[in-house]
Amino acid sequence: MLEVTGLRKVFFPDTPNEKIALDNVSLALDPGDFVTIIGSNGAGKSTLLNLIAGEFRADSGGIAIDGVNVTRMPVHKVARYVGRVFQDPMAGTVPHGTIEQNLAMALARGRARGLRMGVTNAKRAIFARELANLELGLEHRMRTDAGLLSGGQRQALSLLMATMGSPRVLLLDEHTAALDPARAELVTRLTAQAVERHHLTTLMVTHNMHQALTLGNRLIMMHEGRIIYDLAGEEKKRATVEDLLHQFEQIKAVSDRTLLA
Amino acid sequence: MLGSIDLGLIYGLMALGVYLTFRVLDFPDLTVDGSFTLGAAVTASGILAGQDPLLSTAMGTLAGAIAGLVTGLLHTKGGINPLLAGILTQIALYSVNLRIMGKANLSLLREPTLMAGLQQPVRLLGTWTSVAIFAAVALVFLVALDWFLNTDLGLALQATGDNPRMIQAQGVSIHNTKILGLSLSNALVGLCGGLIAQYQGYADIGMGIGLIIAGLASVIIGQTIITSRRFVFATAAVVLGSVVYLLVIQVALLIGLDPNDMKLMSAILVVVALLSPRLAFVQRFWARRRKRMMAAVAEGEEVRA
Repeated sequence: MLEVTGLRKVFFPDTPNEKIALDNVSLALDPGDFVTIIGSNGAGKSTLLNLIAGEFRADSGGIAIDGVNVTRMPVHKVARYVGRVFQDPMAGTVPHGTIEQNLAMALARGRARGLRMGVTNAKRAIFARELANLELGLEHRMRTDAGLLSGGQRQALSLLMATMGSPRVLLLDEHTAALDPARAELVTRLTAQAVERHHLTTLMVTHNMHQALTLGNRLIMMHEGRIIYDLAGEEKKRATVEDLLHQFEQIKAVSDRTLLA
Repeated sequence: MLGSIDLGLIYGLMALGVYLTFRVLDFPDLTVDGSFTLGAAVTASGILAGQDPLLSTAMGTLAGAIAGLVTGLLHTKGGINPLLAGILTQIALYSVNLRIMGKANLSLLREPTLMAGLQQPVRLLGTWTSVAIFAAVALVFLVALDWFLNTDLGLALQATGDNPRMIQAQGVSIHNTKILGLSLSNALVGLCGGLIAQYQGYADIGMGIGLIIAGLASVIIGQTIITSRRFVFATAAVVLGSVVYLLVIQVALLIGLDPNDMKLMSAILVVVALLSPRLAFVQRFWARRRKRMMAAVAEGEEVRA
């Protein structure tokens, strides 16, 4: 479903600030795979997601979604295949638009936008049904501005918007990191539900190792632009946070030694 | 006084255009000064060449749209800063407008303009009849703009100004929405220029100077009077703002202010409006409003900011 081959991205090339963000990263996801990605700051997790979404252009390597080469597509074209939720709860919705207007914009993703009304009664019925699944009561106030919702509510709304129209790939970039623990728990639960319900192929970046282990069927650890650890199936189910920390310490020790050598 | 209301309603079309760029697209478009005169120049030249006045006005509108298109292309495809892109088009249009008009002033006196029926045999401009007619015209355009902003395409346009990253992730090219918004906006401005030329009976190369400030003042005044954004209130507020602005100017002239000082007055008015959010009592007002809204949200009511 998602095929990443030999992806490389260098920021500020040929300057003193040159940074190799991704170094020959390859990754293949089968339909329905739910992959969690962990790694320290600057490991290249977000860069990988941004490259897939078309936000940055790769220096070399390729990205294919469902057989379609999207390596050089701009963001708004890749959006036909990809649903995204950002870390910042403000980023995923239009603050001066109502909840129903936001949902209408998401519903039109991947379709030509013309002069039909954005919000109709038929669409309202769909939105109300979908919002009811969030169990936040938002279905009763669809004409409230999204900008007046709390961070957790907005992130739940963003998640619903990202999963609308069954995208081929769902990209979640630390989408619970900016929320308080209770809200993060809620959005995490909603994420698992949505992925399950729509059988979405998902890539989720997280800083929370517990979350990375409990969600999904595969886990990837990244470090300095490379995938250094790949856990799947039974192995992943048995793994603990201690195992991950141990793995991470080993890698870090190695890179520290090379750094000091 | 009724003449000012006439003018306010016609200038309301220009203000709607300014609202579309400044408020909806969050794009400070300075093309306006040039595209207004362009609309007037094309319309007047068309009428003087014996064209049908309605067709001439439509051509003026189209010319305005093309001016907006140029600014849009300069900004999106050329990566030029929005303010600079607008100024470049505006300056270029000064020469273009002179070329179209052939001289600095074109008189439309006794020409078969769209307003001819309101001038002959009885002069109806500046009466309740003309006010009613222009109000109807303004109403048609403000309702049409509101309708457009609520279509799928219009929502994408609104989101382009409000959260460009999000709307791109929803599959919209913000280059295209910006170009479309600028074209529509300057089409309204060009139409306004054509109508004003016919109303006052001449097109002049300097008629658009500083117009952007009048447009901004109208938007700001209107949205201060009508704060609601429900239904057509936002667009109606802009047209109302334009009428109030023209009336204020009229009153200022009546009490003996020099017409040449009007640009200074307009600029000061806009500066005051832009600085007012920093004043303590204004901040308290908005804080109270936000508090009320949050309370209403907590009660589970539907609220629009």
